[in-house]
Amino acid sequence: MKSKVLGLLGLGAALALTACGGGSKDASQQSTGAAADSALKGTTLNLYTWDGMFPQEVLDGFTEKTGVKVNYSNFDLDETMLAKLEETKGGDYDIVVADDYIIQLAIKEGLVKELDKSKISTYDNINPLFQSKFYDPENKYTMPYGAGIPLIVYNPETVKVDIQGYNDLWNPELAGNVGIIGNYRVIDGITLKSLGYSFNTNDLTQIQEAGDKLKTLAPNIRLINDNNLQDYLLSGEVGAAFMYTSQVTQAIKANPDLKVVYPKEGLGFGVMGSFIPSNAPNAEAAYKFLEYINEPEVAAKCFEYIGYFVTNKAAESYVSDDWKDLIVFPEDKISLIESGELIENISDEANELHNKLWEEFRQKTN
Amino acid sequence: MKNKKLNKYLLRIPIYIFTILFVILPLAYMVIISFLTKAKTWGFDFTFTLENYKKVFDPFYLNIFLESVKLALASTVLVTLIGYPFGYFMGRLSERWKRRMMMLLMIPFWTSGLIRLNGWIIIFRSNGVLDKLLMFSGITKTPLKLLYTYPAVLVGMVYFLLPFMILSVYSSVEKMDWSLIEASRDLGASRLESFLTITLRLTMPGLLSGVVLTFVPSMGLFYISDILGGNKIVLIGSVIVEQLTKLRNIPFAAALSVILMLLTIVFLRLYKKVSGTGELEGLF
Amino acid sequence: MKKVSKAAVIFLGLVTVLNYLPIILTVVYSFNKSKLTSVWEGFSLDWYKMLFNDGDIKKALLNSIILAVLTCMLSLVIGVSAALAMRGKKLIFDDFISGFASLPIMIPEIILGMVFMAIFSYMNLPFGFVTMTIAHSSFCVPYIFLIVRARLMGMDLSLEEAARDLGASEFETFRDVTLPYILPGIASGLLLSFAMSFDDVVISIFTTGPSVNTLAIKIYTKMKTGITPEINALATVILVITVLMIFISERTRKD
Repeated sequence: MKSKVLGLLGLGAALALTACGGGSKDASQQSTGAAADSALKGTTLNLYTWDGMFPQEVLDGFTEKTGVKVNYSNFDLDETMLAKLEETKGGDYDIVVADDYIIQLAIKEGLVKELDKSKISTYDNINPLFQSKFYDPENKYTMPYGAGIPLIVYNPETVKVDIQGYNDLWNPELAGNVGIIGNYRVIDGITLKSLGYSFNTNDLTQIQEAGDKLKTLAPNIRLINDNNLQDYLLSGEVGAAFMYTSQVTQAIKANPDLKVVYPKEGLGFGVMGSFIPSNAPNAEAAYKFLEYINEPEVAAKCFEYIGYFVTNKAAESYVSDDWKDLIVFPEDKISLIESGELIENISDEANELHNKLWEEFRQKTN
Repeated sequence: MKNKKLNKYLLRIPIYIFTILFVILPLAYMVIISFLTKAKTWGFDFTFTLENYKKVFDPFYLNIFLESVKLALASTVLVTLIGYPFGYFMGRLSERWKRRMMMLLMIPFWTSGLIRLNGWIIIFRSNGVLDKLLMFSGITKTPLKLLYTYPAVLVGMVYFLLPFMILSVYSSVEKMDWSLIEASRDLGASRLESFLTITLRLTMPGLLSGVVLTFVPSMGLFYISDILGGNKIVLIGSVIVEQLTKLRNIPFAAALSVILMLLTIVFLRLYKKVSGTGELEGLF
Repeated sequence: MKKVSKAAVIFLGLVTVLNYLPIILTVVYSFNKSKLTSVWEGFSLDWYKMLFNDGDIKKALLNSIILAVLTCMLSLVIGVSAALAMRGKKLIFDDFISGFASLPIMIPEIILGMVFMAIFSYMNLPFGFVTMTIAHSSFCVPYIFLIVRARLMGMDLSLEEAARDLGASEFETFRDVTLPYILPGIASGLLLSFAMSFDDVVISIFTTGPSVNTLAIKIYTKMKTGITPEINALATVILVITVLMIFISERTRKD
């Protein structure tokens, strides 16, 4: 009997041993950063964002260049990050990458440091198309790190409807054949847009009208999934899907015959931004990091890795050919960005109504 | 004798301290929050209100609670039907096989739940493993749409909760005195009679704690239904998450959690009463 | 004496096979060339290469194991001592305390995580292993406590009395009589606790600090940019190691 418990501990020990192999690598890395900035060398940068936002190559490159070790920790949702920053009073973390709307709240709560742009020599590489947005109108606090533009993708082999915009998703021929992401502000938003209203309206009657229209979409919905919608499109579970940018790129990469639709009613999109929390323990290293990831070649690597639209003008020419069509925003569609809307924070009443209508819609799809 | 008594007090210290500091205190904090008002951007203001609870009793939310209870009950019944015999038979295996079975049961748990759910998706999706099997054997002709249905969600729930029931039943079957059953059989009891009068009675503590360990977490489990059910079944857990995150209404989320907690306690009490045993003592 | 019928063996086998189906597919897809699980693009070991070069994931795995072991130890002490103390005569607050102790498993993790974060920061506990161990134990203690208590419930107290009469000390009685008796319960509880701690995401995210990332956190937070089969490869490696360990322990047990 005793060996049962011992066996368990043994398992732990064995796994620990295999894991230790990784630990020693970091030590050797640190010593290679010989030519680094002397003051920062040996310090640690606490990077806080989703997992998979930076290729290992880039993080290693930064360590090599500056001698700063990167400590990469993760959150699942933007709101978790905000809660953590509130609790630590903007301390503990040096760089945060998150979505636009939550950054606006973090700025309001005084948790974001104003950027000293003189410390970021590569600042001008940013594409102004993705700047001066609602969350940071004067670009005082953030630098964009990738833009997400949910688009419709469909398989022309199985879907005979010529999809041009949001309204086509309501086509009865798509019954039980549509997959959508699970973000209600986006989905309610495209319904508003399909009625000619704004994504960000605070008008409760307009929201209600959209909610009623959304319910009529229920028979067409096969699934609501935030995580890997592209898989279902590729496997044929659904014929058409409205999904996030990283999913669009993955789907097209796997099956170039799929058709991407930039909905004619107008785009709703989001920008991810990077910022330094107000009490960041190692702000100097944070500036160095921002400078580094804004170098054109580095940025190109990052955007290829995350599969979001490139927000760095200088990086565009460094994006490799297989990725160019996917993540460099097409020249001829730029008017759609200019006329498009970012999804902004709206009044509590409007948000609550949105949520309720969404839950009702979800129940209807079952 | 005195020494023994002292020991009994000492043994209580860890659970008393831990529960007071890290369970009662946080929960009390949650209850307090549930009576406060949402702040503009984040957090809450210290203004007392009953508004959050009023909102809970909106039929819209009550309906969602009902849906969650239904799924939890259905899952618990299924888990019991499969888990009890499994634990029982497992307890009758040889020592060596018992050990093996136990490890076999636990190995899947070392793999992330999300990854295992993805495994089920591969099985259920149209043209997936199950579809191919059914079509190959001639049972069905065309791909079925099995994913994102209620049964798919139930399979996922049972899959996740089964080990709790099995291990609980097993640990009480394991200590059972099998000679009692032999004796009853010798005295002329039928298999069923001796099972009902002896086996079931003796394994009741394991069964009851298994039911609790299954039902209680299943009330809060929602990501299975989100993933295997395609987000189509709205459960209270996911509503709480949305309130906390997208709506940033921490007080209302706290109120919903308090009600969920009370509801679970009510069910446990009912269950305790119906099962009519003292074995669930120590649970509300 | 204890006969297991054929039907029972088939039942046990069938449920076990079903239990392993998703895992087997996880293993299969770890050799898939494609990043997606929907298409099979051919055999490849790329994900394994990626895994073995990924220092971060190894660190996270190590953290997960340390955390799970710490959680098991703390929960073991609390759960078993409570189960032992609370059999026999009860004190007034026993039901109250043990009732409360089992509440954390019925509350959605996200709110529990948030409340824990607030309480820990109020107590000035540093976010990291300490806070995570406490938070994880809050949902592991009930499992150990309930399972061990269910087992103790049927224990014949005269066994211990006999041992005492024969001159065994309190400790010796515990070691030689009570402990062997409750060991299967302890083992079940520990196995469950280890697994629950290992797989916990939400509470971990709230209670961790900048320096402790666990494997489960890494996996779940990958969703923004997509989960890769590297995780399947990792699951396969862990599976192989576990099976190997069991095999070795069975072999060495023979003598």
